[in-house]
Amino acid sequence: MLLTLAWRNIWRNKVRSLVIICSVAVGLWAGAFIVAVYDGMAKDRIRTVIQEEVSHLQIHHPAFKEDFEPKFVAGDVDSLTAKIVAVPGVKSITARSITRGMMANASNSSGVTVIGIEPASENKTTGLQGRIIAGDFFPEGKRNPILVGNKLAEKLNIKSGNKVVLTFTNTHNNLTSGAFKVVGIYQSINSKLDGTNVYVLRQNLNALLTTPGKAHECAILLNNDDLVDSVKLQLQAIFPDLKVETWRQVSPESDLIATYTTQSAIIMVVIIMIALAFGIVNTMLMAVLERTREIGMLMALGLKKGKLLTMIIFETFLLTLVGAPFGLLVAWATVALTQDGIDISAFADKGLSEYGFSAILYPILSWDSVYQIIVIVVCAALFSAIFPAIKAIRLKPVEAIRQ
Amino acid sequence: MEIVIDAHNVSKVYNPETIPVHAVNNVHLHVERGEFTALVGPSGSGKTTLLNLLGGLDRPNEGKIVINGTDITDMKENQLIDFRLNNIGFVFQSFNLIPVLTAKENIEFIMLLQGASKKQRDERVQTLLKEIGLSDKTNTMPSQLSGGQQQRVAVARALASKPQFILADEPTANLDSKSASDLLDIMAKLNKEENMTFIFSTHDSRVIERARRVVTLVDGRITSDTATFQISH
Repeated sequence: MLLTLAWRNIWRNKVRSLVIICSVAVGLWAGAFIVAVYDGMAKDRIRTVIQEEVSHLQIHHPAFKEDFEPKFVAGDVDSLTAKIVAVPGVKSITARSITRGMMANASNSSGVTVIGIEPASENKTTGLQGRIIAGDFFPEGKRNPILVGNKLAEKLNIKSGNKVVLTFTNTHNNLTSGAFKVVGIYQSINSKLDGTNVYVLRQNLNALLTTPGKAHECAILLNNDDLVDSVKLQLQAIFPDLKVETWRQVSPESDLIATYTTQSAIIMVVIIMIALAFGIVNTMLMAVLERTREIGMLMALGLKKGKLLTMIIFETFLLTLVGAPFGLLVAWATVALTQDGIDISAFADKGLSEYGFSAILYPILSWDSVYQIIVIVVCAALFSAIFPAIKAIRLKPVEAIRQ
Repeated sequence: MEIVIDAHNVSKVYNPETIPVHAVNNVHLHVERGEFTALVGPSGSGKTTLLNLLGGLDRPNEGKIVINGTDITDMKENQLIDFRLNNIGFVFQSFNLIPVLTAKENIEFIMLLQGASKKQRDERVQTLLKEIGLSDKTNTMPSQLSGGQQQRVAVARALASKPQFILADEPTANLDSKSASDLLDIMAKLNKEENMTFIFSTHDSRVIERARRVVTLVDGRITSDTATFQISH
């Protein structure tokens, strides 16, 4: 009966209740859509990290990443690859030689990370070929080919077909140089990497580093994300002297940004609901004050304070929760309608790519987010109910009836 | 005769520390089961305050009030609410039905608070609606009932909890003469057939004429207490 009474009470002033219900619905729609956009950005960033940058797992010599010294090789490419491929769950692997040095052309120079790859396995693991925007992906017959990122090419004014010189130290700590011909320009989502990473053939780099047949890094793509921890354990057992790391360990900043992005969206929903809660408090206070005499009468007849409190809380919850499903439904529909992506490159292309985010947003409204939003709404309803409910139970029946 | 209400030296003073107003002043009142009593007096004489004290809605500054053998003077708030629920029926001047509940639901509400089963509630509501002559208005909202019909539902609601007595504050004040007469007929019938005790505060001569006992209050004191008819029970 209290629930029935509460439900009918909220419809006494239809316009006022509808305004609050619509406010909750619109607020939740906006909040849930923001969460979906941020969640989509975070998941997209993680996919980019895994599929284009880091892969699921990486293996290095334990000392290699301290100073990128070329002598700290992970091992022999053929041996490493054979052992890794035999582990269940491994989809593809690419073995890389890596060093840091300088790249110069006739007029400019810049610090770079030189990555020596085997094109077929690299493309299978990171899809590098798909990011070529000018020239070709390591065409046959070209001597000392090199791929340069778009940002670095712009900085050094390099075009496909130009020659550049790479300088770095080899395993004997001797400075060594090699002339390379730019065969292609690539562009990834992460503009920072485009400004530092250049790709050459592994055998060319190994010749200069004096590390024939060796690799500094093995990047491993798995069949699915859930296998990361178990495959890591297996690989660590196979290679006890090497360092096996997950993508979260290799790129902790990406994990942090992705987590922070989702959390900041949830904080926005909390702020929206706090703002709405004040509107709900105001409406419920008006409803209580308008019914002072009636509440006094109910208490006179025998309605205990606990039941009165329950009735006011029911009213506040109904007022809040009726709008919530509509807001979430419209948010879900909006997410469904924007599945092909929202292109915001006109507003924030460079800013987003600096942090490795795509300028095309793909909103995702997950059940986890929906549960979190529902918890926030329930908390907001509870918060909104407290003040009006206290006001109601403090009424004295004899004084309330007189009004 | 069984005493239902026993008020000893009851006083109620408003603003005792600033400008004291003695709304009820040293009142002694005994009401026996089955009485049909009118509290009369000019405006401000303390009729409503005395009813509030007898109904446990307000607390006296002095004296004590015993209802059916239970001293309610120092009861805690929640005990008092329970006591009112199970022992006292109220009828207010402005009907005070719950506007969002039907006639049936308004009557049933008290019984729900008492924890009565659906069967008990349905039977009692049907009986009461029949007694007040509104069996055809079961699912009608208060806004669709006339003032007289609303007050009859209020009487049925007061009776629903099977109280020891019913306190009615100016029950006919907002009714036309026909509705007032019908309401008094119903209350008189309940008094006669079910031995229900009624105490009214009223200015209405029609009510005073029907009362079996008339208690007159002036400036918070009882100035006369007259049995106008021999109580038939």
